[in-house]
Amino acid sequence: MAEVLRLSNIGKVFGGIDALKNIDFDLREGEIHALLGENGAGKSTLVKILTGVHQADSGEIYLYGKKVKIANPIEARKNGIGVIYQELSLINSITVGENIFLGNEPVSSVLGKYDRKLMYKESAEYLKQFGIDIDPKELVSNLRMGQKRILEIVKALTLKAKILLLDEPTTGMSNKEIDTLFAIMDSLRQKKVTMIYISHYLDEVFRVCDRATVFRNGKNIATFNVGESNTEQIVMAMIGKDVKQNRTIPVRNFSGKETVLEVKDFQTSIMKSPVSFSVRKSEILGITGIIGAGKSELAHSIFGAAGPHKGTIKIFGKETDMHSTIEAKKHGLAFIPEDRKTEGLFLNDSVGDNIVRANIRMIEGKNHLLKNKLKTKITVDIGNKLEIHPLKPGMPVKNLSGGNQQKVVIAKWLVGDPSILLMDEPTRGIDIGAKVEIYAHIRAMSMQGKTTVIMSSEYEELLNECDRILVLQAGEIVGDLDPSKTSKAELLALSLGGKYK
Amino acid sequence: MKTIKSKQLLQGEWGLLIILVVLCVIFSLLSGTFSSLNNLLNITRQVSIVLIISIGMLCVVLCGEIDLSVGSTAALVGVGCAITLKTTGSLPLALLVSLALSLAAGAVNGTLSVFGKIPSFIVTLASMWVIRGIALVWTNGRAISGLPKGFAFLGAGHVGIFPVSSILCLLLILIAFFVLHRTKHGVYFRSIGSNLEASKLSAIPIRKYKMFAFIIAGLMSGVGGLITTSKLLSAQAIANEGMEMDVLAAVILGGASLSGGIGTVIGTVLGALIIGVINNGMNQLGVSAFYQQIVKGLIIIIAVLVRRNKDK
Repeated sequence: MAEVLRLSNIGKVFGGIDALKNIDFDLREGEIHALLGENGAGKSTLVKILTGVHQADSGEIYLYGKKVKIANPIEARKNGIGVIYQELSLINSITVGENIFLGNEPVSSVLGKYDRKLMYKESAEYLKQFGIDIDPKELVSNLRMGQKRILEIVKALTLKAKILLLDEPTTGMSNKEIDTLFAIMDSLRQKKVTMIYISHYLDEVFRVCDRATVFRNGKNIATFNVGESNTEQIVMAMIGKDVKQNRTIPVRNFSGKETVLEVKDFQTSIMKSPVSFSVRKSEILGITGIIGAGKSELAHSIFGAAGPHKGTIKIFGKETDMHSTIEAKKHGLAFIPEDRKTEGLFLNDSVGDNIVRANIRMIEGKNHLLKNKLKTKITVDIGNKLEIHPLKPGMPVKNLSGGNQQKVVIAKWLVGDPSILLMDEPTRGIDIGAKVEIYAHIRAMSMQGKTTVIMSSEYEELLNECDRILVLQAGEIVGDLDPSKTSKAELLALSLGGKYK
Repeated sequence: MKTIKSKQLLQGEWGLLIILVVLCVIFSLLSGTFSSLNNLLNITRQVSIVLIISIGMLCVVLCGEIDLSVGSTAALVGVGCAITLKTTGSLPLALLVSLALSLAAGAVNGTLSVFGKIPSFIVTLASMWVIRGIALVWTNGRAISGLPKGFAFLGAGHVGIFPVSSILCLLLILIAFFVLHRTKHGVYFRSIGSNLEASKLSAIPIRKYKMFAFIIAGLMSGVGGLITTSKLLSAQAIANEGMEMDVLAAVILGGASLSGGIGTVIGTVLGALIIGVINNGMNQLGVSAFYQQIVKGLIIIIAVLVRRNKDK
C-alpha cells in the first residue's frame, strides 16, 4: 500500500514539557489507523499539528512523499486533511444543507444570490451517497447527536478530504448510529480515503481499524496490526508497566455491615443506562471509567442535581425520592463536584462565606441575623482540620491554590456533618501534598463512620484508597473489583470496553 | 499608593457618595433654593417611590433576573385601591385588595419565569403590558379621583417636618438592609445570581428564592403605587409609566450587576438619590424637561464609566 503521510522525528514542547518527542508515524493509503493513549499522551497534539493548529518544533511532515509545512488549518484543508473534532462545529440554527455548504455556498448570479435549489440538490446527493437518511432542509438543531457527527463527516468530505481525522466520533452515538458510521468509514476505505481514528473504546478499534499506534507521555510506543494483536498487548503499551495496588492500609470487607446507599435500576435523563449498586457504612467505594463513561452524570444524578429519576434509591434502607439537591442534602448526602471553579465555589466570595454556604443555618442567630464571628470560628476550626493554607477566612477563595480551593469545597460539606460523601475527581489538578492530605481525611471520615463514593479516573488513587472499585463503561457497570486483586491494566481494559483475562 | 487609594475610594459606595455630594454642592451653588431643608426633605419624598420599588428590583437583579413590570404593577395596585376605597369606603379592604394585586403580579411573573422557564425579560415585558392593560380596562382609561382626604396621609402627610413616605421608605430600606446583608436570604439571592450551578450543588432552594424575589418586587411596586395614589388622591391606569427604567437606572447606578450576584442596598439608595437630586436640581434651575432627559442619561453613563475604569 502506498504511503500517504509520514511524520519523521516530530517534536513539540509546551511550557518546557515534551508534548511530543521524536515521533515517527506513517499512514498507508486507505487504512483506518487508530491512535490510542491515556489523556495527555499526545494524541491531541499530533492531531493539531496535522491540522495546522500547532506547528511542530522539530521534525518533518511528508505528504505523498513530498515534504510539506502545514502552517494553519486552511493549508491543512488545501492539502486534503479534514478533521472532525469532538466538539461539533455545526451551526444549529441553519439547515443541514446550509451547514454542508457553509463558507462554500453555490452562487447562481452575479448579484451573489445564493442558489438554494442547487445547494439542497447537491446536499441530498451527498447524503444519499453515504446512505444517510437526513432531510437536507432539516434544521441541525433537530438532529440527534449521532446524526450531527455523521453530518460533520459529510461536510468534511465535500471539501475533498483525502485524510480524515476522527476524534472520538462515537461520543453520544447510539449503537445504530455507530453501525452507520462504521459503514461509512468502510465505504470511504474502499474509496482510498485514509483515516486516523481516535477512540477510547478498544472494541471499536478492533472492529474497524487496520492498525493502531499507542502513545504514552508524548512518545510513539508501538504500532500494532490490529488483526494480530489483543487487548492485553495494547493496554500494556498504553500504561507501560502494570501497577498493582501499593497500599499501606488493608482492603476492608464490608459484607454484613449496614447498607447506607442502595440504588437499583436507577436512571435520570442525563444517564445512558440504569445502574444498580450499594455501599455499606464506612466503606470507601471507587467508581471509575474513561471520560464520557458517565461518572459525573451518575454523581450528579444521585445528588438530585439531574431532576427526577427512574428506579429506586434507598438511604439507610429507606426508599427516598431524590429529585433535588435540597432533598439529597436533607438525607445526609454531600457532593464535591469535579469542577470546583464552576460547580463548587463562589470564586469572588471569601473562604468563610464559601464554607458556610451550604449550611448557612449554622450561623443564624435566634433573630435570624447571621453571626459573622461564628462564621470565622467555624472556618478556622475546619480550616485547621483540613490544613487550608493560608487560612484567612476573609480572603477571596479565588486567591487560594487549587489544592486549597478543593479543601474549601470539602470543608463546605464537612461542616454539615454528612453521612454519605460523593466525590467527583476529588484530587484533579492539585499537587501531591494536598492529595495526600485529602486521602488522609477521606480515611479519617471513614473511621468516623462516614461513607464515601469516589468517582475518579486515576487508577492508582482508586487502587490505593478504596475498599471496592466499580468500573463504568458507556454508563453501565462492567466490573466490581477488589483493589487488592486487580491492577491498573485490568481497570483500563475494562474501562475501554476490552476483555481482560 | 495615593492613586490606588483614590481609585479604591471611587469604586464602591464611597464613589457614589462623592458623586452625590458633588452634585449637591454644584446645585447649591447654582440655585439658592436647592439646599433649603424644605427642598432636601422634598427630594427624599420625591425619590421615595422609585427607591421603594428599587429595593424589590434589587432582589430580582441579585438573582440574575429582571422585572420590567414594576411600573404597571404600581399603577394597577393604585387603581385597585382607589376603586375599592371609592366603592366600599373601607381602607382595610382597599389595602387588602392592593396586597392581593401586588402578590398576584409578583407570583405570576415568578411562576412563568421560574417554573415556565421563560426568561424573565420576556415574561415581564409581556406582563408589563398585560398588567397595564388590566388597569386601563378596569378604569376605562379614566382617572379615579375624589378619594377621602385622610388617604393623603401616606403620600403627602408629614410627621413633624418629615414626609410620611420618606419615613416609610427609610423603614423599608432598613429592613432590606438587614435582610439582604445580615441574613441568609441575602446570601442566597447573591449565590443564585453569581453561580447558579454551584448554588444548585450547594442545596440552595433556587426556585423558592427566585419566586421570593419576584413577589418582593410585586409588593414593593404595590407600596409605590399606593404612595402615588395617596399623593395625588387619584389613581390612573397610566400612572408610573416608564417607572421600570428609573428603577433600573437607580439599581445599576448603585453598582448592581444585571448578570446577577452583585449589588447593595446602600448603593441602590445612593443611586436613587443621585437621580432624584439631578431631577430636583435641574427643576430648581429651571432647566427644560427636554434637556433634563439628556443630562440624566449622560450622568448615568459617566458615573458608570468612572467606576468601571476603576475596576480594571
